[in-house]
Amino acid sequence: MSRDKVLTGITAAFLLAVLLFFLIYPVVDICRLSFIKEGSFTLSNYITYFSSQRVFRSLTNSLYVSLVTTVITTILAFFFAYGLTRTTMPGKGFCYTVSTFPLIAPTIIQALALILLFGRNGLVTRYLLGTDWNIYGATGIIVGECLYCFPNALFILYTTLSAVDTRLDEAAQSLGASALKTFWKVTLPSAKYGIASAAALVFNLTITDFGIPVVIGGSYTVLATEIVSQVFGLQRFDLGATISVILLIPSISAFMINYYLTKKSYAMISGQARPFLQPSRPLKKWGFTFYCSLICFSILVVFATVFLGSFVKTWPYDFSLTLKHFDFPSLGSRAPLWTTFWTSLIKEEPLRSMIAFKYAPIWTSLLVAIVVAIVGASVTLLAGYLIEKKKPKGEQVLYTLSVLPAAIPGVVMGLGYVLAFNKPYFLIYGTIWIIIINIIICNFTLGVLSSIANLKQIDRSVEEAAVSLGAGPVSTFTKVVFPLSRVAFLSTATFFFMRAMTTISAVIFLISAKIKLAAIEIIFLDVDGRTASANAMCTVVVVIVVGVLFIMRFATGKSGLTGMGTK
Amino acid sequence: MGRNLRLENLTKRFGTLTAVDRVNLEIEEGEFICFLGPSGCGKTTILRMITGFETVTDGKVVFDGKVINDFLPQKREFGIVFQSYALFPNMTVEENIAFGLKMRRMSKKATAERVDQMLDLIGLRDWRHLYPAQLSGGQQQRVALVRALAPDPQVLLLDEPLSALDAKIRVRLRAEVKRLQQELKKTMIYVTHDQEEALSIADRVVVMEGGQFRQVGRPFEIYKYPASSFVADFVGTSNFFKGQRVGESVHTGKRQFRVSPAGSLPQEEVFLAIRPEKIEVFKYEEAPSRLDSSNLVPGRIDVVTFLGAAVRLVINVDGEEVISDVIEKEFEQKQLKQGEDALLYFPPEAFIVYPVKGEGK
Repeated sequence: MSRDKVLTGITAAFLLAVLLFFLIYPVVDICRLSFIKEGSFTLSNYITYFSSQRVFRSLTNSLYVSLVTTVITTILAFFFAYGLTRTTMPGKGFCYTVSTFPLIAPTIIQALALILLFGRNGLVTRYLLGTDWNIYGATGIIVGECLYCFPNALFILYTTLSAVDTRLDEAAQSLGASALKTFWKVTLPSAKYGIASAAALVFNLTITDFGIPVVIGGSYTVLATEIVSQVFGLQRFDLGATISVILLIPSISAFMINYYLTKKSYAMISGQARPFLQPSRPLKKWGFTFYCSLICFSILVVFATVFLGSFVKTWPYDFSLTLKHFDFPSLGSRAPLWTTFWTSLIKEEPLRSMIAFKYAPIWTSLLVAIVVAIVGASVTLLAGYLIEKKKPKGEQVLYTLSVLPAAIPGVVMGLGYVLAFNKPYFLIYGTIWIIIINIIICNFTLGVLSSIANLKQIDRSVEEAAVSLGAGPVSTFTKVVFPLSRVAFLSTATFFFMRAMTTISAVIFLISAKIKLAAIEIIFLDVDGRTASANAMCTVVVVIVVGVLFIMRFATGKSGLTGMGTK
Repeated sequence: MGRNLRLENLTKRFGTLTAVDRVNLEIEEGEFICFLGPSGCGKTTILRMITGFETVTDGKVVFDGKVINDFLPQKREFGIVFQSYALFPNMTVEENIAFGLKMRRMSKKATAERVDQMLDLIGLRDWRHLYPAQLSGGQQQRVALVRALAPDPQVLLLDEPLSALDAKIRVRLRAEVKRLQQELKKTMIYVTHDQEEALSIADRVVVMEGGQFRQVGRPFEIYKYPASSFVADFVGTSNFFKGQRVGESVHTGKRQFRVSPAGSLPQEEVFLAIRPEKIEVFKYEEAPSRLDSSNLVPGRIDVVTFLGAAVRLVINVDGEEVISDVIEKEFEQKQLKQGEDALLYFPPEAFIVYPVKGEGK
């Protein structure tokens, strides 16, 4: 199999090199900076960190917020999944769809909505209740993170609960166990790995998130925001690196627990699971209907609030409708290709300057997202193909490196990129290409895992049939394997597109005065006090993502959101 | 003369497990060979070594005088038919059949002609634009068959091609494969665990067990003269008795069966094997007196199963189960009934004798 082997070897070596250079090297650089000062090993950064009360608090804050979020989200999502899988409540499809909404928006949308409702000038707090209490700080972060993490936890629990054999429950009940006892003794234990893995995922997502705490945290700092403020505010790259290393510990641990338990949970899935459900008793049925509606309502309120907030004159005092917030302040960035395109297309002012210049961050984001979608989906498909079907030497290393990115917080990756690549000879630094590479690497895990899952379904004989009919390795891949992975490819591409449009944490380090991204602008607009414009920008991002999801659904006949379990 | 395929001391080891153990075979051009054996006997491994999807640990695969151990699968020009059909789901019937021709860079016109020819061969001209998912299992496997035949391979290898199909379709397709083989005079190597399939289809059958060949021969020989008790048991159904040979007879506990010819050695541990259809069954009081009384044994009919043309009886003989197949017509004439006593006659010439020594049974 000489030519095949050579080709496989070269591709594997290329992928390994890319991952080593763009994933491992930046992280190593961070560790180096945190431990080494003037050429020798030192712990002084860590001593500084742990002895500074204010800075040290970010660690305890992070742990507190993440633990509370984990407990609340896991419980909420568990019962939601239970309602969807184990009761005969009506409207399951609707509930499931609504629960995936938080994935299509930047995480900050939760924070923006909470501020509009419960902030200093919140609709509920100021206008309806007239109280001085507001949601800034830990409470806001926790509520926001719960909303954001909900669909991620739900995917795992939904899979777990729909796979566990319901006949076990029936057997227990036929043996005389009460419904409650059955739940405690049979249902819950059989879903334990799923529950623990969902919890670990929520913990990982929360402790690594930057968008929500930066908008709603106020003076309540967490690790992710502390890294950014050390670097941007104080230019203390060494302390930023040190906090990054500290953040890596809980986030990698949580990821590993999640990864290990998800495997274990799927191994428990019985092939004989049976979809038939006996009709639930009315109390159970309507109880779960009410509960699930309440959660769907909360999610919908977030979106409705931000949409509304972007169309009204002065929230919450003057609710007359306006489009003025969509005329963003001049952000001074450029998107050369798009600007040329729009200026040639639109002649009348002020629409021309608005679309061509003020919307530049949106067009840059769109361009980045399209490239990320195509390249990301292709590269991860190729990596998945090598790992699953070709098994070259060093396959284990390739697999580990492919799965690792999900464990590394975005802010850490972003800072790592600055440290590793902000060098004059590194020509793509400061261009959109470094952003594109960064987003692809940060989201590599899910792309590879979904490629592998999909490729597992292609019968080995189909490939062998192609080979026996005279097809070489390249023809086999392009004519047989790739066409068979088309739907999976499009859904991975959609995922990469969504992530590129909505991601904040890593790329905040990589944007510049010239190159800005829509999701990041939401934060800057908000920090500038232009909350309404931030809402409007968020609305635009959501509309674009939803538009692409509809196109993809049309193209594949499937929802682009299926199977997007991890971050 | 022809382009023969030869296996020389062919061996495959997976770690410490020897899947195929030094097998030798010469397959002539145009011959239809069947590898028959229980799962895990190494038959598919041999096939995969011939195709090139499995590396050879030791020994040689020789085709047309050349050792082809290290040839790429796509260069061997062997066609393969898989158990799971392995049609390309993203291509129509026509495109599936044309795939191998395109890979060999055949001209458009020649490809179209060849595809037509292949479709005619299986009578599926009207389905050319359908996708595999729109076809039944049997239809899919016919397409897979001509897809493999389209590039005119030197040898066609079939890996349990009919195992995934219904019994009735299996029998029909079996006949179709046989017809194609006779029409095209193509060397075919067919792997199956279904002895009936192997016996009805092949020119020669190779019975395998534990990575080794137990018997190679024509179907008739294998059924009639199984070389070992394993073959006797695996190919068809056999009743076995263990005993001591004494002169013309074999002593099996309480009974003495007369056996002819009994062989030369005066005393030896032996197995006696007898096919179910060779045993004659009579109502208890109605056995004809011409029969040798030492081979006449009483028993009770425990189970009656209709097989169609024949009836299978499970008869309890002193606590041992003996299986006997009786033609349906005879079964009715003799008025045999479940739960009733009967007499079994074992014709001396129907026994096959195996030495116990070196036998797994």
